[in-house]
Amino acid sequence: MGHSSVAGGSGAGLPPARPVRWSLARKVSLALVSILLFTQLMAAFFAYYKFESVYSSLVQSRYSFVVFTIKKRVEDNLNLGFALRQLRQVQEIIEREKSRDAQILAVEVYDFRGEVLFDTDRGAIGTKVADSLFEAIRTGSSQSLSFSVIDEDNLIVGLPLVNNLGKVEGGVVLRYPIAYVEKGLSGLMVQLSKSIAMAVAVFSVVAVLGLYILFGGVGRKLGSMEQTLTEVMSVGGQAIPEGGGDAFEERFAEFVAKTRETVDHIRDATEEVGRLDRLQ
Amino acid sequence: MRRLASLAVMLCALFLGPMTGGAWAAEPAAKPYRIYMALWRGWEDAAQGFKDYFANQGIPVELIIRDAGQDKEKLKEFVAEAKSLQVDLVFTWGTTVTEEMLGRYDDPDKQSHITKIPAVFAIVSQPLGGVVPSLVSSGRNITGTTYLVPMETQVNLIQSYRPLKRLGMVFNPLERNSQVAVEQLTSIGHSMGFDLVALPVDVAEGKPRPASIALKVAELKAARVDFIYIPPDTFLNINRDLLTQAALDHGIPTFAAAENPVVTSKAMFGGVYRYYTVGQLTAYKAEQILVHKMAPGDIPIDAPKRLSVLINMPVVRQLGLFPPMKLLGLAEVIDRAEGKEIKP
Amino acid sequence: MAMTLDRTRPLFIRLLLLVLIVLVPPVAWVTIDAMAEFSQGLIPEMDKKAETIGRDLEASIERAVNFGIPLDKLEGMGEFFSPVLAANPEIRYLAVTDRKGNVLFMQGIDKASIESFYTSADFGEVDHAHKSILGPFIDMAQPLVTKAGRVGQVHVGTDQDYVRERLMEIAIDLAVVTLVALLIAVEILLFVVTFNITGPMRVVGTVIDKVRRGDFGFMAGVTSDDEVGRFVHGFNGAIRYADTLFRRLEAYLDEVKSAHFDPGVVEQVRDIESRVKFLFRFARTGQPETVNEHQATDIRLPLFLFVFAEEISRSFMPLYIRDLYAPIPGLSPEMVIGLPIALFMLVIALASPSAAMLANRVGARRVFLIGLVPATIGFVMSALAMSVYDLILWRMATALGYAFITMACQGYIAQVSHQQKRAQGLGVYVGAVLTASVCGTGFGGVLAERVGYRTTFWVAAILTIVTAVLIYRLLDSAQPNAETAAPRKREFLRLLRNWRFSVLVAFAAIPSKIALTGFLFFLVPLTLSQNPNIDLGDMARIMMAYPISVVLMSPLVARFADHVGWKAGLVAVGGLIGGAALVLPFFWEPVVVIPVSIWLLGISQGLSASPQLAMIPDLCWTECRIMGQTNVLAFLRLAERVGSFAGPLLAACFIPAYGYNGAIIALGVVVAGLASVFALLSFAYHAGPHIETEWGE
Repeated sequence: MGHSSVAGGSGAGLPPARPVRWSLARKVSLALVSILLFTQLMAAFFAYYKFESVYSSLVQSRYSFVVFTIKKRVEDNLNLGFALRQLRQVQEIIEREKSRDAQILAVEVYDFRGEVLFDTDRGAIGTKVADSLFEAIRTGSSQSLSFSVIDEDNLIVGLPLVNNLGKVEGGVVLRYPIAYVEKGLSGLMVQLSKSIAMAVAVFSVVAVLGLYILFGGVGRKLGSMEQTLTEVMSVGGQAIPEGGGDAFEERFAEFVAKTRETVDHIRDATEEVGRLDRLQ
Repeated sequence: MRRLASLAVMLCALFLGPMTGGAWAAEPAAKPYRIYMALWRGWEDAAQGFKDYFANQGIPVELIIRDAGQDKEKLKEFVAEAKSLQVDLVFTWGTTVTEEMLGRYDDPDKQSHITKIPAVFAIVSQPLGGVVPSLVSSGRNITGTTYLVPMETQVNLIQSYRPLKRLGMVFNPLERNSQVAVEQLTSIGHSMGFDLVALPVDVAEGKPRPASIALKVAELKAARVDFIYIPPDTFLNINRDLLTQAALDHGIPTFAAAENPVVTSKAMFGGVYRYYTVGQLTAYKAEQILVHKMAPGDIPIDAPKRLSVLINMPVVRQLGLFPPMKLLGLAEVIDRAEGKEIKP
Repeated sequence: MAMTLDRTRPLFIRLLLLVLIVLVPPVAWVTIDAMAEFSQGLIPEMDKKAETIGRDLEASIERAVNFGIPLDKLEGMGEFFSPVLAANPEIRYLAVTDRKGNVLFMQGIDKASIESFYTSADFGEVDHAHKSILGPFIDMAQPLVTKAGRVGQVHVGTDQDYVRERLMEIAIDLAVVTLVALLIAVEILLFVVTFNITGPMRVVGTVIDKVRRGDFGFMAGVTSDDEVGRFVHGFNGAIRYADTLFRRLEAYLDEVKSAHFDPGVVEQVRDIESRVKFLFRFARTGQPETVNEHQATDIRLPLFLFVFAEEISRSFMPLYIRDLYAPIPGLSPEMVIGLPIALFMLVIALASPSAAMLANRVGARRVFLIGLVPATIGFVMSALAMSVYDLILWRMATALGYAFITMACQGYIAQVSHQQKRAQGLGVYVGAVLTASVCGTGFGGVLAERVGYRTTFWVAAILTIVTAVLIYRLLDSAQPNAETAAPRKREFLRLLRNWRFSVLVAFAAIPSKIALTGFLFFLVPLTLSQNPNIDLGDMARIMMAYPISVVLMSPLVARFADHVGWKAGLVAVGGLIGGAALVLPFFWEPVVVIPVSIWLLGISQGLSASPQLAMIPDLCWTECRIMGQTNVLAFLRLAERVGSFAGPLLAACFIPAYGYNGAIIALGVVVAGLASVFALLSFAYHAGPHIETEWGE
């Protein structure tokens, strides 16, 4: 009637251990690394766009200042009563401005009909400007506010030219390449991507290590409890873990003991019934 | 707002030239507008500005130019001629020509004046209360431009050069223009906080005496004025060298309300509307009538938007009273030491 | 070291620590990297601009000097420089020095601060721009060359702080991102931990307790393929083994009982049977039943995500409405802008009772899923809205969804926390809503600034879809049953006859909602948007102060209220603080004081919200007994929505008369007035028939 007498068969009664396909650490790692990646991407996104807006507005404000100085000079001449197309010196003014900055693609001055009167690209003189530029000087509600237009791969800043009768005589625009702004941004882009890749790689490793340690503990605890369960059920003995264990483990120990007791009791009862049955 | 709208319409119209009756050079078949120009004392800058505007804008015009040579009698013939030629528009130069040909607003005598043909006027010193009842609208078939800088603007301009405590002025008591200027400056001085010391030149036998000008300037010096204001006064215009030299000798800066004392004499600086610009603005109004078919009564009477500031650099250097940078940036500088007028 | 498996906190705290280590340093790393790159990229561009401006100034000055004006006699340099400084915020000063470096003119800063540098510097005879670093400034010197040769230099000073300020803006943006990411991480990991570990372990605990009492009728219903699943599998195996043995015994007993000819043996066998059945209990169905335990935290992540989606538009909703403005006859423009916000609140108020009833009848899961349909449609169509007319419709759709979902969550929590403590369950709800509010407000503002209002609504729609997937996949379709039927409407009227309750509703609950929706949701974005220096991101950060201060205040106040027990007093003080907060713009510049007002409003709500609820059992002892405390509380929440509805409309009425600031102040006067009435009446709370009770939560 001793414990050992029934131990033999009881182990076979427990089901085979179930394989762990997705460990806790793996699950939580997946969650945490995704959050890390998401956070880094958001951070990069905000940093990049902030930089983009500050940088491109800085570039634009510089070029609108250049355009403004040209506008001032052209208008001073207009105020002397000359017609825009007669101001031969304008060609010289815009060519000087272009020569000062290699990034300037072109400066052009056109009249209120949209005909290019002066252009650093002399071949373009006499052609018509794009409708958007023509519209910009026509509809500009304020005659002193600069306008900006994107034209394929150029950025354009411009100002209307106003004579002293208060009438828009034409416009002056400056073209510079989008590539210039993009070049300024690409450095940041590359650097950001690099540091994000690094940060994500390094801290993913930290996260995974940390989680394996953290959930390794949980797994071990569960494993040892399961081990105890199997052992006690198959071999017998006490389920109290070494070092006391916490409230849950104590309860679990009681569970193991109770189960073992129950199994033994039922087994005893079965044997007793068998004995009685065989009595005849 | 209305101005902007009309501007947009105008640009539109020009762009679609042929559809609106053809107004510009690219449409050679268009019949030129016929404009009758009545002048008072010959061809000068306002007339040139008027003419150049059409050339610059590519508006074909045929100008019929008549000069009265300061003879009032000729103006009646002009009226008759303009009517018989059936011109599209009449341009009148000066107060006399305008009042004689177009009539005062309260006395439009149909027979002796031009009433059916639209007209634009220029260089009329006091259009308000004369040829028009209001600057917003003439109420009839004419419009035009003013050319005198408002007194407040002039005072502001002087103040922007140097703050002002006492303003000196020599004037011809026989000219109404000058008397008006004295009255206006006195009241502006009250509100802006400066005193006006206005001294009339001596009058002998009903005529002002040029010799007294230097004496008056000396008196102003004694009164320690900061600036001398030179009104648009015919007598002083003729004797401008006497006046500006006397002021320069006493080291007093001068401000002129007219072009000549600065450009051809020794006034230190001035603020004017250039006749040329006024002529262009007048042509702009003519364009609105002829090309854009606006009713003249709907076109307000006004002055150019931007004042011409003239600075006489040799005088500035002699006085050592240098203009503020902002004003210098706006100004047309006359610097004969360099042998020419230097424009910004 | 103690890490009890069925309790969330110890495990979660460790996890939180790890999250901090994993999330904060990399963002800091990227931020620092970006900032370095940023200043490197900006400075050459700023130099170019300084040079361009310098060249223009140089040309004007050279012209003047060429006219014979000595450089040191230039006039009106201040007026000449000021517009340039005003138009270019990154330019801090402009100066002219003579050949020896003496400062002749300087505008922008006090010349004493850098004069010594100029005199000691050698500008040499170079004929191009010369850059140098002068303390906090970058000085770009342009030589002045006239007919007489070189006469001096013109200096354009850019502010290094300008770059630094832009960098700070980025850092603040990223700090918001980090905070939001941390909170999201907390929500997700809390979910992961409770869903995968503590939840199942709690179920195991329940089964253990049954087994300890000899009851083998239950197994833990956990089927994951991780360590917990493996453990539970073994655990259930033991129970099933015992069960199998018992079944075998039972069969044997039956066989012996029916087939044995010896009545003595049968009798003995019967004894054994009754002994075993007395000592142990096994399932009658022949299989142990599976136990699934529902917890309040199950619904926390979906609730968080949905409220997050809704709060994303919080900081800019009035501005978006203003963009879509179209006149509605008979209403002022301000009223039209306030209308969608007010109607949103109204729909929530009207739909909530039915939603609650439906949640009781068909289960929280289904109501949650039903609610997600109008909510998602609402977000998508808000993104595509053409004018204020259809926007109102879409916002009402979202409101309908909001009512369904919040009621489903409250119902779920009320049902499952029947088994636990109710206060804890309520804490889960409030916690999820507040963290979502912090995250949504902050993130939404920063996002909208970058990608625009409409795209932000798309993000909200995507979040609701994620929520739907979560609810559908993870929330058990077997639902706990409803506890009580909702009382009939007429019974609520009884409540209003209780003057203490009515006073609480009219003078404490309603004014605090008026302040919240009228001021924070409506007037704050409109007022702040008038200041061009405040962008959407700033606005959102300012508005985040509200949920943050509520989060910080609420637990403190709750503890304090328990100690002091002076609940009516706290409610009164909270109300008065709320009113006072809104009157502050009367005394100070609104831009400066609005953040303070928002903090104070948060404190006010933190002070009064939980005591308000805690007062209910005292104030409505009889009604709580008859109707159930839950229903009384639900009615309080319903009644206070009158204030939510009235807030924006009241504010909109004030704007035409007093302007934005005036409207805030006027609203403050109204709130403070109502709160004072409550303060006075609360003294009378102890008078008259009143039942002191120990009725607790």
